[in-house]
Amino acid sequence: MSLLFKGRGNQIEQDKKSIFHHFYFFCLMIIRQGVQSLGEMWRTPMASLMTILVLGLSLTLPATLYVVVKNVQQVSSGFKEASEISLFVKEEMSEAQTQTLVKRLALYPEIEKVVLVSKNQALEEFKTMSGFGQALNYLDENPLPDVVLVTPVSRYRKPQAAAELLSKLEKEREVDFGKLDIEWLERLNALLGLLKESVITVGFLLLSAVILIIGNTIRLSIMDKKEEIQVLKLVGATNAFIQAPFLWTGVWYGIVGGLVAFICVALMLWWLESAVSAVVGVYQSSFVLQGLVGNELLVLLGTAVTLGFIGSFLSVQRYIKEIEPDKV
Amino acid sequence: MIKFEQVSKTYPGGHKALEKVSFELANGELAFLTGHSGAGKSTLLKLVSVMERPSAGHVYINGVDLNTVTNRQVPFVRRDIGIIFQNHRLLERYSVFDNVALPLVIEGTHHKQITKRVHAALDKVGLLDKLRCHPSVLSGGEQQRVGIARAIVNSPPLLLADEPTGNLDPELSMEILNLFEEFNHHGTSVLIATHDLGLIARMKYRSFTLNQGRMLQDPLAENLL
Repeated sequence: MSLLFKGRGNQIEQDKKSIFHHFYFFCLMIIRQGVQSLGEMWRTPMASLMTILVLGLSLTLPATLYVVVKNVQQVSSGFKEASEISLFVKEEMSEAQTQTLVKRLALYPEIEKVVLVSKNQALEEFKTMSGFGQALNYLDENPLPDVVLVTPVSRYRKPQAAAELLSKLEKEREVDFGKLDIEWLERLNALLGLLKESVITVGFLLLSAVILIIGNTIRLSIMDKKEEIQVLKLVGATNAFIQAPFLWTGVWYGIVGGLVAFICVALMLWWLESAVSAVVGVYQSSFVLQGLVGNELLVLLGTAVTLGFIGSFLSVQRYIKEIEPDKV
Repeated sequence: MIKFEQVSKTYPGGHKALEKVSFELANGELAFLTGHSGAGKSTLLKLVSVMERPSAGHVYINGVDLNTVTNRQVPFVRRDIGIIFQNHRLLERYSVFDNVALPLVIEGTHHKQITKRVHAALDKVGLLDKLRCHPSVLSGGEQQRVGIARAIVNSPPLLLADEPTGNLDPELSMEILNLFEEFNHHGTSVLIATHDLGLIARMKYRSFTLNQGRMLQDPLAENLL
């Protein structure tokens, strides 16, 4: 295409026969520029490495917080559906009376399941679970009460409804008192909410930092290549052509920074795993520490690439226009 | 090819670089642009390559008014003009081949074509054997010739040269000028800005003389027109 001379450049365009060819060459050029800018980063490893490490660490923090939230959520989700009411039967009640209570409770429409844990059963369980087996043998009598575990139907599992059901059940003659383990769950949920909010806030700040870091790195690199940009403009390169390598550099920084963050999180989890499993062992739970899985890695990389692109785009828009060949 | 119509250029700060300059470079003509330093030669060339815009008047290339060219179209105007600089402005990081290939690369030319044309251009300036060298290992004259090869590699219809012989001894200068003559014989219009009056005197071409931003009448031009 020639603006001033109609028909000029035809011999050049002859080998680009169709739109498909044009598109093909366009893609080829973009890929070539991408590879070139990667090579460029390779040639200045120290400068690139510093930037990449800063990026990686900036991304590691939000990613770690996310992993923490995810694991806490995993713990709490184990309790969410278990809104179970424990009814402690009065000590003076006989076994028969307790059995009657169980039968009566089973008829409640609000109740899905009733399980009786007798004193003896509870003692056995306690012996095996707590590790106090030997000591318990010295007791004269079983100090534990009979407990009736009541699982409400799903409608009555919400904190409010469960509390109402509890007060109703406590009016039963045989029941000493009942316990609904929902308050601590509410507190946990509130804490979890707070944690999530802070992850979002901190994450937002750190991600903005990533944009600024990349933007500044690209700005320096543009200043560094001022001469080259001027020559390119003189021989008729469009702004898009000049901008592409810098945008690619931003994208590469994003990709590598994201990978660094992923590796940091994985290392941290590996480091914590033994400590966590010790804690888990004490609580006898089947908790497994979860890291970042496939999808989340993609999201992390996608975020990093997007931020890299935005950062470099802002710089490129601002500074490449400013460099004009006449201002030597 | 190039036509100036009452063109004035005042830089911010009030410096008047050009005042009501009018001249015309014919299609396929080779001409010189002379004057003392600061007479406005560089400004005139910058107006042609749209590095600057005129404060008043019109600049035409091939009949197209450059005032109508938008900033986005400027790169496409520059692709039609080969520009040669006194300090040659080669990129040190790249080899001679890559430097010369630059105008073709930005146009998205196929690499086979690029190789062919770069070889042809370097052959014309006699530097085909320096293909893989970096500009820093070349002599001043050779660097200048690489700059010329870059300017002609996409066969532009118009060549601008700003003091192309500025740093060269007379013999090398003559060589460079002969190159320009050769391109001119192939139909390229050439405008050479120089203060080397001895050089101009030896050649029978028109010369436009600028003095403090004004175009002096050229006796030879009078005869021709």
